[in-house]
Amino acid sequence: MSLAQAGDVEEAAEPVVAASQGRGVGEVRKGGWFVLLTIVAVCVLWLIPALGVLVTSFRNGDLVNTSGWWTAFAHPFQAGEWTVENYRSALDAGGLGNSFLNSLAVTIPSTAYAFSWMDFRGRYLLFVTVVGLLVVPLQMALIPILKLYVNGATLFDYVVFPQLHLNGTFLAVWLAHTGFGLPLAVYLLRNYIGSLPSSIIESAKIDGADHFTIFWRLIVPLSVPALAAFAIFQFLWVWNDLLVAYVFLGGERSVQVLTLNLANLVGSRGENWQLLTSAAFISMALPLIVFFSLQKYFVRGLTAGAVKG
Amino acid sequence: MFALRLVGAVVIPIAAFYTLWVTFDFLRDSEANRVIVVGVAVVVGVGGVFFLYWAMNRAVELLPERYREGVRPWIFVGPAMVLLSVFLVYPVINTILISFKDAQSQSFVGLDNFKFVFTDESMLRAIRNTLGWMILVPVAAVTTGLAFATLADRLRRGEAVAKSIIFLPMAISFAGASITWRLIYSFRPAGFGSNIGLLNGIMLGLGQNPVDWLSQHPWNNLYLMVIMVWMQTGFAMVVLSAAIKSIPDEIIEAARIDGASEWQVFRRIIVPSILPTIVVVATYMVINSLKVFDIVFVMGNAELNQTEVIAERMIRWFFIGQDYGKGAAIAVVLFIVVIPVMVWNVRRFREEEMIR
Amino acid sequence: MRRLRLLSLLSIVLLIGGACKAKENEGGATGGPKEANTGKVNVLAAVEPEEADALQGIADQTITGVDYTVEFEAAGNFEQDVQVRGQGGTLDVILLPQPGSLPGLVTSAHAVSLEDMGYDIGELEATFGKPFMDLGLVDGKHYGIPTNINLKSMIWYPKDDFDKAGYKVPTTWDELMALSDQIVADGSTPWCVGFQSEGSTGWPATDWMEDIMLRTAGPDTYDQWYKHEIPFDDPSVVNAGKMFGDVMFHPGYVLGGAENTPGLAFGDAPLPMFDNPPKCWLHRQASFINAFFPKDAKAGVDYDWFPFPSMTTEGGPLFGGEVAMVFRNSPEVKDFLDRFMGTDFQCAMAGITAASRISPNVNVGSDCYANQILADSAEVLKEGLKAGTARFDASDLMPAAVGSGSFWTGMVKYMKEGPSSLDGILKDIDSSWPS
Repeated sequence: MSLAQAGDVEEAAEPVVAASQGRGVGEVRKGGWFVLLTIVAVCVLWLIPALGVLVTSFRNGDLVNTSGWWTAFAHPFQAGEWTVENYRSALDAGGLGNSFLNSLAVTIPSTAYAFSWMDFRGRYLLFVTVVGLLVVPLQMALIPILKLYVNGATLFDYVVFPQLHLNGTFLAVWLAHTGFGLPLAVYLLRNYIGSLPSSIIESAKIDGADHFTIFWRLIVPLSVPALAAFAIFQFLWVWNDLLVAYVFLGGERSVQVLTLNLANLVGSRGENWQLLTSAAFISMALPLIVFFSLQKYFVRGLTAGAVKG
Repeated sequence: MFALRLVGAVVIPIAAFYTLWVTFDFLRDSEANRVIVVGVAVVVGVGGVFFLYWAMNRAVELLPERYREGVRPWIFVGPAMVLLSVFLVYPVINTILISFKDAQSQSFVGLDNFKFVFTDESMLRAIRNTLGWMILVPVAAVTTGLAFATLADRLRRGEAVAKSIIFLPMAISFAGASITWRLIYSFRPAGFGSNIGLLNGIMLGLGQNPVDWLSQHPWNNLYLMVIMVWMQTGFAMVVLSAAIKSIPDEIIEAARIDGASEWQVFRRIIVPSILPTIVVVATYMVINSLKVFDIVFVMGNAELNQTEVIAERMIRWFFIGQDYGKGAAIAVVLFIVVIPVMVWNVRRFREEEMIR
Repeated sequence: MRRLRLLSLLSIVLLIGGACKAKENEGGATGGPKEANTGKVNVLAAVEPEEADALQGIADQTITGVDYTVEFEAAGNFEQDVQVRGQGGTLDVILLPQPGSLPGLVTSAHAVSLEDMGYDIGELEATFGKPFMDLGLVDGKHYGIPTNINLKSMIWYPKDDFDKAGYKVPTTWDELMALSDQIVADGSTPWCVGFQSEGSTGWPATDWMEDIMLRTAGPDTYDQWYKHEIPFDDPSVVNAGKMFGDVMFHPGYVLGGAENTPGLAFGDAPLPMFDNPPKCWLHRQASFINAFFPKDAKAGVDYDWFPFPSMTTEGGPLFGGEVAMVFRNSPEVKDFLDRFMGTDFQCAMAGITAASRISPNVNVGSDCYANQILADSAEVLKEGLKAGTARFDASDLMPAAVGSGSFWTGMVKYMKEGPSSLDGILKDIDSSWPS
C-alpha cells in the first residue's frame, strides 16, 4: 500500500543521498577534531571506574586490600600480581551455570512478553496513569503481589483473583516483570509513535487498511529503533534484577538467578568483595552482547520517506 | 444474523483467552527442561498474545458497525490495563491504605504517619536531598547523553564502540556498581595501609591527606549523584540517539547547504525535532532519581552523612524499622512528589494532540 | 459464515477443555489443610553462601530417612527478604539474628508459637535457660528457639609481638588501661578501631557500649536498658558512654583518632596489628573478625584473643546469636526442628570453620569445635550463661528503629563530635524509641 509512496520518496531523495556521500569523504570538517576529542574524553571518564573493577578482578585478594588498583600498572609484570583465581572462585560458586540458565529463562520470556503487550493507542487517562505508575517503588508492590500469587484475592466473598499457585514458577516472574516493565514500554513507545508523521497513517487509511494492518505493517516496522532501545532496557533490567526473581522464585539453589548467586558471593559481612569484581564482569558479558547485536537497528533514515508523506 | 455476530464477538475472545490459559497452565507445571520451557514460553507467549489481539480484532469486526470504533481502542488498551491494575494499581491502593494504619497495620491512626513524615528532621532532609537528585541528575545525564549522542552520530567509524562505553555502566548490576565506586571513594586514615580508592590515591600523590569523601556534607550528596549519572547516562544516550537517527538526513543536509553552522543545525533542527524525546528521557530520569535508594543505602550510614533520600527512608522504615505505616506514608510522599511531573507530561501530551 | 461456525465450535471445545483442566487444579489445591506435609522445608538464614552450603551438607548427612527435603537458603538482604516472604507466606523456618524484630514478625507474618507446635517449654528452658527462651516471648507464648550463639566480648592482639614486648594479658579494666598507657609510653598506639559498615555503620560501636554497660551497670540494669524500662539517657548509660569515650578520645589511644573511626571499614581496622612492627596492639571485635585477617596469619602464633576484662560489677560476656522462628505448623517442620536442635546436628555445626557457631545446647562437647579459638570462646560463654551474667547483644533486642537505627548513628556521631556531645545524643536516641 505504501510502496508507491516509498518509490516517490526515493526519487526525490536522490540528490540528498549524493550530498551525504560527499559528507563521508570530506571527513574532518571544521570541528571534526573537537568531536573526536570530546568523545574520547567522555569515554575515558566513563571507563575509569569500570577499569578499576577490571583490574581488580585479576588481582589476588590480599593485594586488592593492601594497594590501590592503579598501582598494578606500575609493575605489570611482577610475579604474583595477576591471577584468575577470582574468576575461578566466582565460577565455582554453587552452580553458576545453572543460574545463568535460570537468568536466561527469566529474561527472554520477560522481554518477549513485555513486547507483545505493548499498547500503542493509549489515550490520556491511561497515559497519566502510566506516567504515575513509573514512580511506584517495586518494593511496595512485592508483598501484595506475592500474597496474590499465594492466596489469590477475594472481595466480599467473590474471587477477584483466583488462587493460581504461581509462586515458585518462572511464569510468576515473567508476569511480574511484564507488569513492572509495561509503564516504561508504553511511555517510551507512545512518545515515539506519537512522533511518527500522521500523514503516513492517513494515507494508509485511505488505501483501505484497517487498524490492525496499520499497526503490524506500518507502525511496528517504523518503530524498530525505539523497539530495539526498549528491548535493551527490558533485557538489562530483568537480567540485573535480583529482587523480583528472588521473591517469586525463592532462594532455592535450583532456581537461583545469576545476580542473586553473585550478590551472595560477597558474604554477609563483605569479606570476599574482590570476588564480586570478577562476578560483575561475568554478568556484564551478555547484556553487552545484546547491546552490540541490536546496534544495527539504530540506523539512520528509517523514516526517511515519511517526511513527504 | 445480528445475534450470531454478537455471540461470535463474545465467544472468540474467550476462546483465545482459554487457549492461552491452557498453555500457561502447562508452563506453570512443567519444570522439566528449562530450555524447552523457555522456547515454548516465548513462542506461545508472543504468538499467543498476537493471536489474542488478532482474535479480538476479528471479534470487533463482527460487531455491528456503529459499535466498532467505540470498542476497538479498548481491545488494544484492555490487556495492558489488566496487567497494570494487578501489578501496579492494586499495590498503590494497598500502600495508601497502609499509610493510615499503625506500624503493624492493626488499626487506623489517621494522619499520624504523615505528621511524622513532615516533621521528622531526617525526613525533611531526605525530601530536600531528593529534590536535589531530581534536578541535578536528570540535567547532568540528559545533557551528557544528548551531547554524546549528537557527536557520536557524526563519527564515521567507532560509533558503536563509543556508545558501548557509555552504555557499559548500565550493564553492571547494582552490586557490581557499589564495588566499582568503592574503588574510587574508599578511605583509610593514615596508618591503616595504603588507600585503595582512586581519589585518595590521587590526594596522596599530590601530597595531601586522605579524605573520607562520603562524610563530607553537603558535597557527599554530589558524590553519590555522580554514581547515578554514570549509570544512567547510557539510557539517555541510547534513546536520544535513536531519536536523532530518525531525523531525516535531507533536512539536516539542506540546512548545511544553506550555510547553517553545526551549532545552528543542533540548536534549530536537532533539538526541536527530538524535543518530545528529550522530555520523555528527562521525565524518566526524574522518576528514577526519585526512586533511587540503593546507592545511598550502600554508601555509608545515610543519617550520619546526612545523605538521606525519600526512597531510602521508605525502605529503612518499612523493611528494617518494621513500621509499615511510616514506610507506606513515605511511599505516598513519593507519589505526591511525582504529580508535577505528571501534569507537565499531560500538558505536553495535549499540545501534541492539538498539533496533529 | 462457515468460518465463523468453525471458530465457535472450536471455542466451545476449548471452553470445555479449559473448564475440565481448571477443575483438576482445584482438586489439587484443596488436597488438605495448610499444615499438610509438603515434602520440603526451607530455612532462611543471614549467612554467606559458603556457610549455607556447609549447613546444607550437614543436613544432607544427618537428616536422612525422612519424607521431606531440607533447603538452607542464604539471604543476601535478610531483613527485607524476611518481611516480604514472611507476609507472602512462603517461609517455613528462619534463623533470626535480631530477636528485637521477633514480635513484629509474629504479628505481620503470622509466626507459629512453640506451644502450638506442641513443644514443652519447660523442657526447652532446661536445655537453653529461661532468659534465653524469654527472648522469644510474645503475649505469653514462645516463638524462638536458640540455635547458635557467638561470642562478642573478645579482644584480639598480635601474640608473637605482644609476648616479645613483654606485655601481659590483662584481667581487669584497670590492667587494660595500664597496658594501653604502657603501649603509648613505648611509642606505639594501643587500639585499632573502625565502625564503618556501609548502611549499617555504627554497629561495632554499639557493641563496645554494651560490653561496658553490662560490666558497669550490671545485668539487671542492662535488661531494663534494652527493654526501655529506664530512659536511654539514664545516669548508668551516661556513665558507660563516658567510659567508652575515655578510651576513644584519650590522646594517643586510637590509631587515626576517634573522629576517623566512623569512616574506617570495620574489616580494615585490625590490619595494622599485622604490620611489622604492629601499628596497634588491641582490637575489640566479635569472633568472626578473623575472616578479615591476612590470609597467612596463624591463630595462636600471629594473633590470639582474651575476654573483655571485668569492670565494676559482675557482668558479661556479651553474645550474639540466632533464634529459629517457625511460620508453618506441619509435621515435617517439627521433625526438622527436633533434629536441628539435636546434639548430632549441633555438634556438626560447631565444626564449620567459616561459621564460628557456638551451640547453645549444653550437651555439645568442646571436642565438637572446629578450632581452639571456638572451643575457648564456647567455654567462656558457657560459664557466663551458667553464672547468669551473660547477655544478648542489646542493640539486636531493641526495636529496629533504635537498635538498627538511632543507636548506631548516635554512637558514631559521638565519635565525630567529641565528649561534649554525649548527653544530647543519648537524649535523641531516647526520643527515637517507638511508643
